[in-house]
Amino acid sequence: MKKIGVILLLALSFQGFGQRKMKVEFNKVPTSFWNRTEFKVGYFGNMLWNPGLNGGAEYLIREKVKTKERKKGPKTIIKKTLLNGNFGFYWDPKSHIGTFTNYGILWRRTNPNGKQINVQFNPLGYYRSFLPETYEVSNNRVRKVPLPGRSYFAPSLSVGVGKLRKTSKLTGRYLNLNFMVLTPYNTNILPLVSITYGYRFKIQKNKK
Amino acid sequence: MKKIIYINVKTLTLCFSILFFLSCAKEDLGDLNNILYVRHKGADMPAYIHGNASEKVFLIILHGGPGGSGLEYRSGSIKNEIEKSCAVVYFDQRGSGMSQGRYSEDGINIDIMAEDVVALVKVIQRKYGADSRFFLMGHSWGGTLGTATLLHGTNQNLFKGWIEVDGGHDLKQLYFENINYFKIVAEEQIAAQNNLAYWNGVSVKINQVDDTQYNERDGDYMNEEAFKAEEILLSDMLLDSPREDFTSFGNTVFRNNPLTTWWSGGNTNGVLSDQGIWENISYTNRLHEITIPSLLLWGKYDMVIPPKMGEDAYDNLGSDEKKFVLFERSGHSPMDNEADKFANEVIGFLDSNK
Repeated sequence: MKKIGVILLLALSFQGFGQRKMKVEFNKVPTSFWNRTEFKVGYFGNMLWNPGLNGGAEYLIREKVKTKERKKGPKTIIKKTLLNGNFGFYWDPKSHIGTFTNYGILWRRTNPNGKQINVQFNPLGYYRSFLPETYEVSNNRVRKVPLPGRSYFAPSLSVGVGKLRKTSKLTGRYLNLNFMVLTPYNTNILPLVSITYGYRFKIQKNKK
Repeated sequence: MKKIIYINVKTLTLCFSILFFLSCAKEDLGDLNNILYVRHKGADMPAYIHGNASEKVFLIILHGGPGGSGLEYRSGSIKNEIEKSCAVVYFDQRGSGMSQGRYSEDGINIDIMAEDVVALVKVIQRKYGADSRFFLMGHSWGGTLGTATLLHGTNQNLFKGWIEVDGGHDLKQLYFENINYFKIVAEEQIAAQNNLAYWNGVSVKINQVDDTQYNERDGDYMNEEAFKAEEILLSDMLLDSPREDFTSFGNTVFRNNPLTTWWSGGNTNGVLSDQGIWENISYTNRLHEITIPSLLLWGKYDMVIPPKMGEDAYDNLGSDEKKFVLFERSGHSPMDNEADKFANEVIGFLDSNK
């Protein structure tokens, strides 16, 4: 036990010696709307196999660049905070079509290799189901319902990974796992789990 | 990258076009494949209708649970045989399967659910004509709901016949019948030297169950143990093995969202249990009010709802035309264990009474 303690202490000390200077700076975000905004489009799969499409936009509000000096050279981590908006739909065969839109905030960490981690929290969400032929029975009368379906408040949370591309209008791709809650649903709530896989792009091409 | 996106978008568009085209196929009454939603008292409930509707004979299946789903039953001889002789309506009850909506916990109880069944009949009449004829079939909890539906007002007049399959028309009595039947079957199996370790264990546990009054924990134990016991009986070849049929699994997983079905069903089961359905619902004393032709189908080794319950129903039903069929090699679901015999009985009943 004592040995382990000494080894840990030494390891921590070496790590301390090994650390170089760390610089943190907040980049000036571009002033142009088109430079600050990325759009995205991709596959949306409710429970993987209910196919759908997903799109949206991300608007940069803050960018923090952390540079660590390492022996191999500087290591730059970019952390972005973005306003996030999504819309999409999926098709549950023969049962319903689900459409949704949600808005919130997105945090993205990009490492020097361009690999990204995304966390989205979208507290403002709206979900509308579209049902097939529906009849309402009320007071012994039956009437066909036009545009049948239900609306729900639908906040969501997503976590995922991505890859940055620097030299193209296509700025990256992403794979997210989403967790959406429909409420009130029946007497309670309904969780929906889905994946999204897609591409982000800018309208204006990035400078090389 | 652009090429990849182009190919992906093209493929997706093609898939959607094909799927939408298939879903918009024209209705063929001889081989109906349709889905209608019934909106009633805050709920939107799907009814999946499949089979031969040329004679406008509809067999409405009420699923078990509470909290099961209609399409669980679309497999084996129901799909392959019964759908040839009539249109089978696989109905997702309020708060179950893919049913959705918005209502309070007061908005779901057995009376409202019985009204939902009548609403379903009215919708089918509106869609396929007032001359449509209906049979009602309830399995397990569906037997409770079906009985409640028939006992309300003049609802019986809507149906040509009632089929109860291992049904729970008396949930209050079920608790005590479960205790008795576990004792009987355990004794029988111990005498036959079958799976002694299991049945001796069950025998000990069942003697510890409160047999003076309903106890929720004991009730849950017996319900869970009943399904295990049927597995044991199956392994001792006292039950016929269900045929390998992945249709039901496919329907549950791919046509229903399994997370939605599991989540909604669990909630609904919880809400109804909290209302005291297990200790309060008892229709045996009112079964004489049911006078339409009735068919009672029961598995001999139904450990969930013992055959004594079926015999009681037979003795008490007020129908002039009634039949009790015991499936000697079945458990709680004779439609799986003895699928052909099940289909023959159902089709025979429909033919005699339509």
